[in-house]
Amino acid sequence: MLLTTEPAIDKAPFDHISFDLCSRRKDVMLMSADLSKYTQIVRVKKELPDQHLDVGMAEQNLISVAAGVSKAGYVPIATTFACYATRRAYDQMLICMGTSPHTNVVIGFTPGIANPARIHHQAAEDLGMIRAIPNATVIDPMDVTDFKQALDVAVDTPGLVYLRGHRGDTPVLLDDSKFKFELGKTYALHTGNDNRNGIGIIATGHATQWALEASGLLQERGIEHSVLHVPTIKPVNEIEVSDYCFAHGQIVTIENHNIVTGLGSLVTEIVSNIGRGPRITRLGIPDVWAPGGTLPYIRSQLALDAPALAKKIEAIGNGE
Amino acid sequence: MENNATPRISELELMATKIRRNVLDICMQRGGYAGQGVALADIAACLYFDEMRADDNNWYHDRFVLSNGHDAIMTYGALAEQGAYSMEELRSYNADGTKIDQSPIEGQLGFEITAGSLGQGPSQAAGIAYAERLKGTDKRIYCLFSDGELQEGNVWEAAMFAGHQQLSNLVYIIDNNDLQATGATKDVLGVEPVPEKFESFGFAAKRINGNSIAEILTAFEQARNTTDKPFVIVCDTLLFAGVDCIQAVLPNAHYVAKASADWQAGLQELDEKLSRFSANQQ
Repeated sequence: MLLTTEPAIDKAPFDHISFDLCSRRKDVMLMSADLSKYTQIVRVKKELPDQHLDVGMAEQNLISVAAGVSKAGYVPIATTFACYATRRAYDQMLICMGTSPHTNVVIGFTPGIANPARIHHQAAEDLGMIRAIPNATVIDPMDVTDFKQALDVAVDTPGLVYLRGHRGDTPVLLDDSKFKFELGKTYALHTGNDNRNGIGIIATGHATQWALEASGLLQERGIEHSVLHVPTIKPVNEIEVSDYCFAHGQIVTIENHNIVTGLGSLVTEIVSNIGRGPRITRLGIPDVWAPGGTLPYIRSQLALDAPALAKKIEAIGNGE
Repeated sequence: MENNATPRISELELMATKIRRNVLDICMQRGGYAGQGVALADIAACLYFDEMRADDNNWYHDRFVLSNGHDAIMTYGALAEQGAYSMEELRSYNADGTKIDQSPIEGQLGFEITAGSLGQGPSQAAGIAYAERLKGTDKRIYCLFSDGELQEGNVWEAAMFAGHQQLSNLVYIIDNNDLQATGATKDVLGVEPVPEKFESFGFAAKRINGNSIAEILTAFEQARNTTDKPFVIVCDTLLFAGVDCIQAVLPNAHYVAKASADWQAGLQELDEKLSRFSANQQ
């Protein structure tokens, strides 16, 4: 399902994804909190103004007005940075959306370390926060194709649906004609020859891109491994995850998120519920305040750049 | 429900008395927010039996959003008269395992949102009002919240939004009883002048005696006639207004335990009022 050609770079994925969706679905209401420019909502604002509502710089109001909109027959998609959607308006997400049967979609942009500003603009804990809400759906897509297809599913999913969004230079890695996003499903992106003695890499969201970069280096070095993409953090197909884990000698999880409460925690919970599983090493933001700067710089500082990840995974394979 | 004819004030006063009696009947089982329910009976009578229009399914065409969940007792008392709930089921209020929550979850009959986390109703009501207007319906949206709730920042985000969007189909009803969980609102964190604050956010505002049927009806009429901005009715109320014998003992009771009120005396006072209504109608 991965494209074999050099990936195209989409400079403004959400502009066309949102415009395409709103053109097809007149019941969708795209909502912003004074960040439409920075989440790249352009065409909907300009060409479909009835389907865009800006509530100003007020995220609690963004989420609770959106919940109201959902009670009048629309499907709201509330957009802002992940840190504001979750940290600033968590109670509104939990109460107004989490307890409602109506579809309420929230997209958190620049999640994890995908923001050049520091702690106040980064969201290292959003996946954990939202997956702790009963019946919520949590999706962390890896590229433009995944993002687009996941959003199509989200607008038809009852209750609170939280997606992490992509903005700016985003690669197209998945073949839209071969990949089909399904809620909960996991996707094998690289399969090794000897799983029992190899390392299973499980990744989500931006970090699946990082896992694929590390995978390239590991393949060059002949390190036995496979890569599984898990876009749905909740409700995940636990059987697929556990089967993958128990088929491998060791597991490494990679996420653009604090290693506390995110994908690594999720995989650990699934495996520990069964018992006697493989060793699991959680890689991601290592429960520290991440620095600001360019994404390559932040990744390098947190040992999440491809060479550092490959080196770490190789060391794990060597028993370290 | 008969909403087609405009009831006379005396009919609504009779209805308010019935609602007060229902509130006491429900709360006397295990305690509850009786003071608020009684105090809001006049507003409930006007809202549910005069102001909100009926639809074709024995329900309401207009929409009511309760923000301060503990005032659900008012809605229960009114909907018992509307026929949506029986008094038998409402008497399980505050019991373990009951479906009659003190602060209901979205989807329970009569409750549009999950109320109780204060400050979130005004925004949701504004969202409903915005979307209903966009759809081109003539539905009017009423949202009840309290003066203590005005201390929540989300309320003012909602007010700024509603004023900016000129949501003239939106009516905020504030239960302004100068009481919150731990004391008088003016002592904990003053919120006055409430009408002027909302006016500065783009609302039309009116302060009324929230226990006067005539003033409530006049305010609703003014709200309907205001076509370019949202409307806020600041209702000055007194806990247990209309049940003198309990009000004299518990004028500031945010929550009333079963053992702390003379419920039978309250019921007797209301039954005597109901008898007088009956005598006057004959």
